[in-house]
Amino acid sequence: MTSHDVFLPSYREQSPEVRARFRKITERPVVLQVNKLGKTFDSVKGEVQALKDVSFEVHRREFISIIGPSGCGKSTLIRILAGLEENSSGEILLDGREVSGPGPERGMVFQGYTLFPWLTVLKNVMFGLEVSGNSRGITGNTTEQEARDWIEMVGLTNFADSYPHELSGGMKQRVAIARALANRPRILLMDEPFGALDAQTRAKMQSYLLQIWKNVDVTILFITHDLDEAIYLSDRIVVLKANPGEVQEIIEVPVEHPRSPEQFLSLEFLATKKRLEELIHPPRETEEMLPIIRMTQIGDDVY
Amino acid sequence: MARARYFIIWKELDQKRRRVFQLFSFIIPLVTWAIISYCPAVWHPMVKVSDPGEIAHFKVDAMILKEAFHRENAKAVEQHRRPAVGVPANPVYLPAPHEVAASFYKAFVTPPRLPDEPWLHQSLWHSITVIIWGFLISSAVAVPLGILCGTYRLFSYLTEPFVEFFRYLPAPAFAALAVAVLGIYDGPKVAIIVIGTFFQQVLMIANTTQRLDPALLEAAQTLGARGIKLFSRVVIPGILPDIYRDMRILLGWAWTYLIVAEVVGNSTGITWFINQQAKYRIYDNVYAAIIMIGIIGLTTDLVLAWIGSQLFTWKSRKKSVLSRLSAAYASSSKVKPGFSQETP
Repeated sequence: MTSHDVFLPSYREQSPEVRARFRKITERPVVLQVNKLGKTFDSVKGEVQALKDVSFEVHRREFISIIGPSGCGKSTLIRILAGLEENSSGEILLDGREVSGPGPERGMVFQGYTLFPWLTVLKNVMFGLEVSGNSRGITGNTTEQEARDWIEMVGLTNFADSYPHELSGGMKQRVAIARALANRPRILLMDEPFGALDAQTRAKMQSYLLQIWKNVDVTILFITHDLDEAIYLSDRIVVLKANPGEVQEIIEVPVEHPRSPEQFLSLEFLATKKRLEELIHPPRETEEMLPIIRMTQIGDDVY
Repeated sequence: MARARYFIIWKELDQKRRRVFQLFSFIIPLVTWAIISYCPAVWHPMVKVSDPGEIAHFKVDAMILKEAFHRENAKAVEQHRRPAVGVPANPVYLPAPHEVAASFYKAFVTPPRLPDEPWLHQSLWHSITVIIWGFLISSAVAVPLGILCGTYRLFSYLTEPFVEFFRYLPAPAFAALAVAVLGIYDGPKVAIIVIGTFFQQVLMIANTTQRLDPALLEAAQTLGARGIKLFSRVVIPGILPDIYRDMRILLGWAWTYLIVAEVVGNSTGITWFINQQAKYRIYDNVYAAIIMIGIIGLTTDLVLAWIGSQLFTWKSRKKSVLSRLSAAYASSSKVKPGFSQETP
């Protein structure tokens, strides 16, 4: 295979606008601080280190993605941040205070939607507001009004009284996002939220998410294994490597805002993608060859 | 019409074929029964005497084994006596379908032989009350306990090993004990049903509770639910339809303990009726009573299944009759034109 000789700038090169934007972000207060986070599992083969010394900071209203090869512990990481699993070492600070256990200030959107199937869309979105014990919502409206506002924001007004099984995958995930946002979380954790969707729906959801993020005061930490998705959505990308899961590099995405699908072919985008490819799929000397004997006629070649 | 392919694994049949085959599940045993009853060539090991002739020990309507009948007749011919006449018949314990069908009606209108004995409908009702009490008492303890066992490991370890042990003890083994403790009336009968149901129920409900999707619990926690709210707003509604289904199955099991329970102490209910009729050799009534138990059981289950599908529409994925009615009402008295619900 030949490599196409397109000249790509360094992914570190930033336009003045992008640089200014990053300066502004770093001036904002730190919402989430992860310090030397470690996680070990006991397995039959002995202790396995899933995460080792993972450290990064997320500023207010920043969009940060975490990517890495399979088995790098990115799901474990987000589950620890959500409080669904315990870390073995290190600490997590939210607004400077250490957190443990799950809580509504760290909302989570799962790949499997996890809507409550016995509740309507409206009741699903009201769930967080109701269990937090306020009969009035955070803005002083009744919880129902507030839930309806969130449902309107994700464009599902007509489905407020539908049950989850009546919705498509993309709609379910929009409800899940509205449900998590209704709690006004300090940070929204998203664990491969669009992984189960088809390519078209996924693209639409990415654009919805960017719109929501622009208009709602929320900080987003996003897990994905899709490089394009990570670049398209994020301000910064934390790249993990596997065995043990360690931070390999934190990349500032040089692609300008507002983002649009046309940027997928921009030089900054491609430069970033090239770098991510290098980090996640390092070039090997020899490609792994399967021990297959030829089972076709001579001359009947596909290439 | 395309040929239906019946031997594709898990391939659903169309509505019409499904109904036909479901009907056949009843028709096949009925037809088998009819063939055995109405075709003398199939079985009919007896001869029903219609004219005893000059054979002294034959009487009209007596049932004689076929060989004995022919032997006696041959003997009679030899001795120049008038032979008996009879028709092939099945033994008295296998009445024909039409006889059983007739006794469905007859059994209800025939007064009991003794004045203080119950009518059939009273016997049936007695059985039903015993079942209901047994099942209610068992459920009142087993359902909460099962849910606790399925939710908190503490309760699971604290009860399940003993329950596992106890469920192998056959309920009828406690009959004598139950009579000693609870007397000879309905007490021990209810107790047998409780013992037979309770331990299975705890394990079944615990198992069902554990099958709640853990992702829902996680999602609820990240939304701020904890402790009792997690339990009441996620665990309970999440498992309710499955618990309901378990209860339907368990109610069926409770019926199987009924027959044993009813012979404990003084025999009562449908079992007493069956035994009494068997004693009088009125087997049509015995069959009718047995079939009645089946009909009551199946009808109850179908009704409960229907109620369940109405209660848990999110699980059955059907619109309930109530919601359809209210939708029809809303559309007929619609005030805002142009208000249309988009459907997914």
